[in-house]
Amino acid sequence: MRIESLSLRLFLSAALWSAVSLAAAGVILVALYAQSVERAFDARLSVYLKTLVGALAEGVGASEGGDSLPDPGNLGEPRFVLPFSGWYWMVQRERDHVVVLGSASLAGDSLSAPIQPNPALGRSARGLLLGPRDERLRYLSRLITFPDGASYLVTVAGTSAETETDIRVFGTRVALTLTVFGLGLVLATFVQVRIGLKPLDRMRAALQAVRAGTASRLEGTYPTEIAPLAQELNALIESNQAIIDRARTHVGNLAHGLKTPLSVIVNEARASPGPLASLVIEQARRMETQISHHLDRARIIGRERAIGARTEAGPAIAGIARVLRRLHGADGLMIDLDIEEYLWFRGERQDLEEMVGNLMENGCKWARSRVQVTARLVPGAEPQVMQIDIDDDGYGLSESQRKQAVLRGERLDENTPGSGLGLSIVTDVAGLYRGRLDLLVSPLGGLRARLTLPAA
Amino acid sequence: MRVLIVEDDVNLNRQLADALRDAGYAVDAAVDGEEGHHLGDTEPYDAVILDLGLPMMDGLSILENWRRSGRTMPVLILTARDRWSDKVAGIDAGADDYVAKPFHIEEVLARLRALVRRAAGHATNDIECGPLRLDTRAGRVTLDGRPVKLTSHEYRLLSYLMLHKGRVVSRTEIIEHLYDQDFDRDSNTIEVFVGRLRKKLGTDLIRTIRGLGYAVEPPAHAD
Repeated sequence: MRIESLSLRLFLSAALWSAVSLAAAGVILVALYAQSVERAFDARLSVYLKTLVGALAEGVGASEGGDSLPDPGNLGEPRFVLPFSGWYWMVQRERDHVVVLGSASLAGDSLSAPIQPNPALGRSARGLLLGPRDERLRYLSRLITFPDGASYLVTVAGTSAETETDIRVFGTRVALTLTVFGLGLVLATFVQVRIGLKPLDRMRAALQAVRAGTASRLEGTYPTEIAPLAQELNALIESNQAIIDRARTHVGNLAHGLKTPLSVIVNEARASPGPLASLVIEQARRMETQISHHLDRARIIGRERAIGARTEAGPAIAGIARVLRRLHGADGLMIDLDIEEYLWFRGERQDLEEMVGNLMENGCKWARSRVQVTARLVPGAEPQVMQIDIDDDGYGLSESQRKQAVLRGERLDENTPGSGLGLSIVTDVAGLYRGRLDLLVSPLGGLRARLTLPAA
Repeated sequence: MRVLIVEDDVNLNRQLADALRDAGYAVDAAVDGEEGHHLGDTEPYDAVILDLGLPMMDGLSILENWRRSGRTMPVLILTARDRWSDKVAGIDAGADDYVAKPFHIEEVLARLRALVRRAAGHATNDIECGPLRLDTRAGRVTLDGRPVKLTSHEYRLLSYLMLHKGRVVSRTEIIEHLYDQDFDRDSNTIEVFVGRLRKKLGTDLIRTIRGLGYAVEPPAHAD
């Protein structure tokens, strides 16, 4: 399985490693503990065995009576007397394995034969056996030979239930402790991964901002590991922008370069009428529409990137008004501006000019005596939005005409060049800024073109 | 009317010049910025057609220089760059109108006519003076509603006088505004044309102000 998330990957690998190592540690700890508990148990058995052997030797020394051995008593451990307490001892003759003596706790029963210590390997043996009540016993046997030549196999056994319980309890505690510890580790890993990868999140957000057009480059400082990546990304963004700018300039130069020869061709053709001339004129007109259509589109390509620009609405609109007043002032046309102060458009100046300019020019074309431009911030809108109304006192458009006029610019790519009102480019540019153009009825009597645009 | 064309494309320059001459203008033409600037700075033109992309000196600088040195003739800008920022820059530099390339010569002629008329203070295409009526758009003259046939030279002289009606226009001014640089200034052409106009329109419309020049005034004010 491929894991696509970097943090999940780090997290899982850390968790897996913690689990494995903690489990191994637990197993080893329990094993070591069991070992030491058993060793302590064996040492205890060994003490009892030595005491027993000592008592037997003493008894043998005291009574010279052949096979009879003295009762060594409880060896300091009352459970050797308590019947079936789990603690037993037994003395067998080596020769025929007849039980000579047994602890009181055996109550006349005997232990199943322990493994014979092999004299060649040593005189002791230890291991596990089943007691009279089928309990698991741990035993220690030793072959001893008294000075009189009699050999006995002496066995001391104790129940291993206690040690097993001990070990189980210890194991449970270890497991519990290690589990808590492991959970802590997992949590720590999680936090570590989150903190460690945070700069990546920031970088992603910054890139997103660039793509959304609210930033022109990756902002902020990054850790040394990914700082070069941020630099490279910035360089890439810049070179990308440079390529777009260059391409746009070339398209512009090409288009503008064609305009003068086109003028010449058309004028020459118009001067000498004929079938060839009309063909030339018609084709030239088509070229002209194509040029301006694609020039307009080239201007706005890639504009949504690397914007971050803002434009004060007042001066930009005032400039357009100066142009239009110069052109239409003599016809008695009034152009009134009512523009809120400190109103900033979030975008490039030329885009604002292109939108407002085309709309105002339309207004001037259709107005009888007056064009009014009102621009203000829409109160309460978040993010900030501004509204620019361009009103004229002309004849206006019918509802269906208004719909038609705006529709034409709906799709950027499927536009056919040459829309009569020049509204398609306005709609397109407004769309680039997630704004819109609405055509309404003006209180002045004519058309109200309303631009809704992001403010800054 | 005397017009200066500053346009570096030789073909377009020729086309404009031909069309303007056909329309009755006196035309001087320059193909680079410096020559254009110099002509506009020294000769009295009634209008200038100025391309913005010029070698040696660009159109906007030329225009700004002219305006700084007090040249007020109407200027029509020709530009391939038709963005609003370009238009604002042109108007702010002192242009009176612009025509975006590619254009039809008729468009330029119409704009030029409007500029000249506005510069002389007339808001409409028709200029009246008593019974005399001049339609600058159609290039027609009527007297008491009857059309008067004029040659192109006669029309040029009459329209200049009509555009500046009520004011004395000197012989030198007429020569400077009606003829291009190569005109022989010592000839008595003006006197000849004034005489012909008086024959067609009646003697009292164009008055001779001795030592100063000519003036067109309605007959009611002639007394």
